[in-house]
Amino acid sequence: MAVETTMSNTRHEVRTPAAKRRVKAAKGRRLWPFLLPSAIVSFFILIYPLCYALYLSLFSYYLDSGVSNFVGLGNYTDLLGDGRFWSSLQRTLLIVVAAVSLEFCVGLAIAYGLYRLTFGVRTLNLLMFLPHIITPVVAALFLKWIFAGRWGLLDLILGSMGIFSPDWLGDPMWARISVVLADAWQFTPFMILVLYAGLNTVDQSQIEAAQIDGAAGWQILFRIMLPSIRPLIVFVLTMRMMDAFRYFDTIYVLTSGGPGSATETLTMQTYALAFRLFEVGKASALGVLTLVIVLLLAAILIGVVGRSKEKSQ
Amino acid sequence: MKNRRPRTSQTLLFLALCLFTAVMLTPVIWAFLTSIKQPIDAFAIPPTLVFLPTLEFHHQVWFEKGFAGFLVNSLIISVSTVLISVSIGTMAAYGLSRMRGRAARGILFGLLSLRMFPHMLLAIPFFMLAKYLNLIDTYPAMILALVAINQPFTIWLMHSFLVDVPTEIDEAASIDGASEWQTFFKVVLPIVRPGLWVTALFSLLLAYNEFLFALVLTGPHTKTLPVAIAEYGGEDLNYWSLSAAAAIGIMIPIMVFMMLMQRHLVRGLAMGAVK
Repeated sequence: MAVETTMSNTRHEVRTPAAKRRVKAAKGRRLWPFLLPSAIVSFFILIYPLCYALYLSLFSYYLDSGVSNFVGLGNYTDLLGDGRFWSSLQRTLLIVVAAVSLEFCVGLAIAYGLYRLTFGVRTLNLLMFLPHIITPVVAALFLKWIFAGRWGLLDLILGSMGIFSPDWLGDPMWARISVVLADAWQFTPFMILVLYAGLNTVDQSQIEAAQIDGAAGWQILFRIMLPSIRPLIVFVLTMRMMDAFRYFDTIYVLTSGGPGSATETLTMQTYALAFRLFEVGKASALGVLTLVIVLLLAAILIGVVGRSKEKSQ
Repeated sequence: MKNRRPRTSQTLLFLALCLFTAVMLTPVIWAFLTSIKQPIDAFAIPPTLVFLPTLEFHHQVWFEKGFAGFLVNSLIISVSTVLISVSIGTMAAYGLSRMRGRAARGILFGLLSLRMFPHMLLAIPFFMLAKYLNLIDTYPAMILALVAINQPFTIWLMHSFLVDVPTEIDEAASIDGASEWQTFFKVVLPIVRPGLWVTALFSLLLAYNEFLFALVLTGPHTKTLPVAIAEYGGEDLNYWSLSAAAAIGIMIPIMVFMMLMQRHLVRGLAMGAVK
């Protein structure tokens, strides 16, 4: 406020508060045109299609034959009564929870390692970051050449040591593990980068005080550093959880949901319904259900941590 | 800042982190080696380390198998996306950064939740609408779709640069008689030019990497690199060297991007770039 006053005084001689307020109000109105182009695009290409998807979800619509009937909430009740929906929800949760927790634990360990390291941090950080920004499809192919039966790197190495390796992508359990590892390969660097940046924002004087009190390194990490970056942790976990739920490119290339339906997540099931079976109405309903589930989980994640924060205060 | 620690523990820590980095980079290195080896060397047991490198497969996949054409498609689509998305996104971000009160915050929060939407839910109506409007396998369909999904990210990232520009500067300009548009173009934009570049490059990466919409909306004439490489696949052993060459080629511009952007990675990522 003080700055504003001095500025307007030097620039303009007479400015009553009322005149100033008028200028500001006028300015507020004139800002709307800046939003217009983006608003038009967002309306026609984001909001409208989303509403259209909601509308579609009320129809039994077969794209190939063009038969379309209004069924109300029929698609939703069908899906909720279908065992396939529940088993793919279970699989998705399993994959998401396994992947995100693996990424968080490894990411935290490496980020803390980088934090303690006094040299070469930037180069290492940059190098280990590469998997995260490679085109996801390309990243999935790179991993496919590791996991592929017989000629994949893993099999070549194990084979040369005389170990008989499992069928990484063909066995249901190993396929799920491979998918989790693939997600972790691409997203652990993201965790490392964000957590490393977070650890560096922790107040140095607090850490020094703890050191003087004789706290060990890991005590400082868990008692002081992590609690002080809790909002960042919640943010990054929520983001990752939401992104992992819509994880598509890698699974599509790596296993396309197989073997059988061992890695068929909700997103993969939606894709198959819409673009293989052309049941666009039911697929839209499944998309909406997925969205509701993701929002619920995000609310729980944020709520739980918010509550424990209150407790600690 | 940090305390000096005993030398040996620093060395051990450094070695451990190097080992982790090496493990993370193994798939990339392995693919690179596959792309420059003759198949006979690529699948030797145990893996050969001494071999005569060849660029035969790189040349073949880009110039004989049509990947150069897919690269052109990818470039047309991602550059147009960036031009449209960043210009309208920056305008919107400027408007939002200069608004007071609840409206701006509400809009920003709404945009954030749009960004979290499962893309699959958008892919279905996009496909239906594009089919209805006869836009499947055309550039505009893909560009519009990418502009739309890039908007939330572009606005958020530009907003974060624009709020750092003090409003006093705009006020001074408007007192000197500049209109809102003059203030925006002549005063504020030059100040945030570095941020504009960062946003443009991140949007470019986002558009270049996009797969799902490209899979659904493009066809033989507009196929982008991710769709092409996914189709080419890794199924047939005979194609491994070729698709490894293509995959490495697709990755090279991204490595250049990473070198350019290393200082800005955290900011861009926190706003949800890349994936």
